[in-house]
Amino acid sequence: MKNIKKLAFGLILVLGLATGAQAASGGGIAWDKAPGKTTDLASLQNGAKIFVNYCLNCHSAAFMRYNRLTDIGLTEKQIKDNLLFTTDKVGETMKAAIDPKQAKEWFGANPPDLTLIARSRAGSGGSGADYLYTYMRTFYRDDSKTTGWNNLAFPNIAMPHVLWELQGERQPVFEEKEEHGHVVKVLKKWEQITPGTMTPLQYDQAVGDLVNYLQWMGEPAQNTRVRVGVWVLLFLGLLSFLTWRLNAAYWKDIK
Amino acid sequence: MSDTPVDNSKRTWMIASGCAGAAGGIAAAVPFVSSMMPSERAKAAGAAVEADISGLKPGEKLTVEWRGKPVWIVRRTPEQLAALPKLDPQLADPLSLRKPGETPDYAKNGWRSRKPEIFVAVGICTHLGCSPSDKFTPGPQPSLPNDWQGGFFCPCHGSTFDMAGRVYKNVPAPDNLEVPPYMFLSDSKLLIGEDKKA
Amino acid sequence: MADFKEISPNASAGEKLTNWFENRFPTAFYEYKKHMSEYYAPKNFNVWYVFGALSMLVLVIQIVTGIFLVMHYKPDAALAFASVEYIMRDVPWGWLIRYMHSTGASAFFLVVYLHMFRGLMYGSYRKPRELVWLFGCAIFLVLMAEAFMGYLLPWGQMSYWGAQVIVNLFSAIPFIGPDLAILIRGDFVVGDATLNRFFSFHVIAVPLVLLGLVVAHLLALHDVGSNNPDGIEIKANKGPDGIPLDGIPFHPYYTVHDIFMVSVFLMVFSAIVFFAPEVGGYFLEYNNFIPADPFQTPLHIAPVWYFTPFYSMLRAVTGEMMYVFIACVVAGAAFGVIKGKLSALMKGVIVVGAAAVVAMMLAIDAKFWGVVAMGGGVVILFFLPWLDNSPVKSIRYRPSWHKVMLAIFVVNFVVLGYLGILPPSVIGGRVAQLGTLFYFGFFLLMPWWSTIGEPKPVPDRVTFTAH
Repeated sequence: MKNIKKLAFGLILVLGLATGAQAASGGGIAWDKAPGKTTDLASLQNGAKIFVNYCLNCHSAAFMRYNRLTDIGLTEKQIKDNLLFTTDKVGETMKAAIDPKQAKEWFGANPPDLTLIARSRAGSGGSGADYLYTYMRTFYRDDSKTTGWNNLAFPNIAMPHVLWELQGERQPVFEEKEEHGHVVKVLKKWEQITPGTMTPLQYDQAVGDLVNYLQWMGEPAQNTRVRVGVWVLLFLGLLSFLTWRLNAAYWKDIK
Repeated sequence: MSDTPVDNSKRTWMIASGCAGAAGGIAAAVPFVSSMMPSERAKAAGAAVEADISGLKPGEKLTVEWRGKPVWIVRRTPEQLAALPKLDPQLADPLSLRKPGETPDYAKNGWRSRKPEIFVAVGICTHLGCSPSDKFTPGPQPSLPNDWQGGFFCPCHGSTFDMAGRVYKNVPAPDNLEVPPYMFLSDSKLLIGEDKKA
Repeated sequence: MADFKEISPNASAGEKLTNWFENRFPTAFYEYKKHMSEYYAPKNFNVWYVFGALSMLVLVIQIVTGIFLVMHYKPDAALAFASVEYIMRDVPWGWLIRYMHSTGASAFFLVVYLHMFRGLMYGSYRKPRELVWLFGCAIFLVLMAEAFMGYLLPWGQMSYWGAQVIVNLFSAIPFIGPDLAILIRGDFVVGDATLNRFFSFHVIAVPLVLLGLVVAHLLALHDVGSNNPDGIEIKANKGPDGIPLDGIPFHPYYTVHDIFMVSVFLMVFSAIVFFAPEVGGYFLEYNNFIPADPFQTPLHIAPVWYFTPFYSMLRAVTGEMMYVFIACVVAGAAFGVIKGKLSALMKGVIVVGAAAVVAMMLAIDAKFWGVVAMGGGVVILFFLPWLDNSPVKSIRYRPSWHKVMLAIFVVNFVVLGYLGILPPSVIGGRVAQLGTLFYFGFFLLMPWWSTIGEPKPVPDRVTFTAH
């Protein structure tokens, strides 16, 4: 009996520590929940526009074909007229405008491909969209960095705040708090140093659309997947019922 | 014989389950078979190709690649065009009637092209798939008849085609050269692979 | 043609066709009778008995989806990752085939673990079914190899670094280790050479071995007949026609039952495939959506969930733990010498053997013994038929406290698994060490603890309630 108690205690302790540890993974702050659903076509289209205008300059999305955007309600003509920046063929993939060698020289690291960024950044803190939503909204000026920017969700990142004109410059304000017996710095609020072209609400919405698009781009088939899944489960439910009665019809003979 | 009523339940449920199972099986097979159809990448690679013919002089040929195949664009000379109608008796299918799908409507004419001077055809012999060589110069030459008016000669098995890609009689190739869908974007630009308005 | 069976010219076309085949391929008819319509299985199978059939189903799913994936996958370090995304995006329905294969891999282990647990509960490994159990353990070992090699193929960060770590384990073997690791990799680090050979093994070599073992497993089972939840041998009670009284023909009763269970299983399987294929990062790890980078190790490498119990054992073997192991070896040898009824020669062998083992444990790194523990965790299963000395097969008639032992074993296995997913920690390490000791103790001490307690009386005939 002692062994069971010991094991049970150990198990609970380990679980408790584990959940605590995972809440602050990677050294950044806890993640906000990204608004928006990947079934909201308007949001996805706006997100696609922001992505193509702001991100594709340095980042590629090498596995994403332009013409796949027809899945979110755009026509090929709309794609060709508004979103085709780095190529002239709508069937091509989204390659970055920048030369990867130059990017490595300027930023110290080649800006990573973004096709799967949302899928790869998911974790116990939330979905990839949650992380990206937090990330794109927690940049602040930091003159000790080469780019002049730092980030609360990914401290010391080499990427500058690409959307700074929209959000303006902000500084985080911390306060000290007692937690588990020692003092920690907790984010109290943000101070707006210079205004952006968007209000905070508009900016949050725009970022919400952008990360929604990134979440969709990570797996464009996801909405079809769920739709087909409903039919499959309904069919299998029916099949299970029929085979259950078939089974019963035979087994009633066994005494 | 027996007083117990006949029990059909096994058969009933067997048929019901069998039908449902068969339907499910076919539905399950669809994604697998579909996965063998051309992928988006194959379709993108097969997209239409632009060709600039501004520098193409009379008697010259330009080759572009479309869907992995060579497509020839020839600016025919007036002499080559004049020779075409006279060749009809020597040709197997002068009016391109044998395989109507391989000649678009706008090429069902004496020159097998939209504009007489510009000839567009897939450069693959209709016999077994080799790419014929240019033999534009008229007159007697090895492997060609003495009254040769200019055209194409396939080195693999000796098939001959005229300057409109029409196949001669008594050669291994059965059909005229395929004319792909194409259109003029301007006087000097062709789009090979598409012939509808974008 | 003297042996041909004649058939009346008035017989139907169907009967004539059957007769034509039966004359030329009687084996098919004979084997069908032997394995289906006249294979008498106990009538008291419960739900735990479905997992064997489900294992076969998942094997078929993996093979079929695998065949279609290989049509598009490129086994080249520079192209592999992109080819998987090509399947997910550009190949019509490619995403579905990929998810079926990734879910199938995890489902395979889930189903196999439950299948093995049934064996543990009902004593299915006991005489006369020891060989069935051995083939099964071999299947489990081969399945682990198949999954490990398959996981390298997407060439993501987890794929690459997981393979790097596990292949480096082989370099811990004394003397031959480093060269063995180079032979496995085909290079000094995991690279294109490794990918190509793992592809060959995963796609054809190991599946062929797996199929052969599955056939052997089933044939050996059918030769001795199936066990059942009561652990009773149904062949002990045969009717005048030679058919076990508690037996029913596998076809149609269990074919129809398995078809129903397959339907239910497919619902669970499809729910995962269509609604949550990543399963929170357990079935498709998030880090694997980043292409392999030999210069950047992810912060936290963990094997896929089904390897984690054994991975925990590997990590638990530290320098300190070695002293515990040494103490166990010494205690075991002392017990064998003092209490054992063995000849002087055998006792001498035990003492010398124990001394040799202790010397090796002191001389060779804990890293190597960690590998031994991990492998030992799987190999010990092979010995189970000879470790269990209980007079009674099934847990139903064992002393109640055996149920507690088995329950603790399961909880322990799950806890080890959970700890294997987490990053190392002080408390986690201690719990894992305790868990490893319990795991091996459960098996190594079984010859003794399985005899303790009063078993309940075992009935003559199976317990069955009509449905």
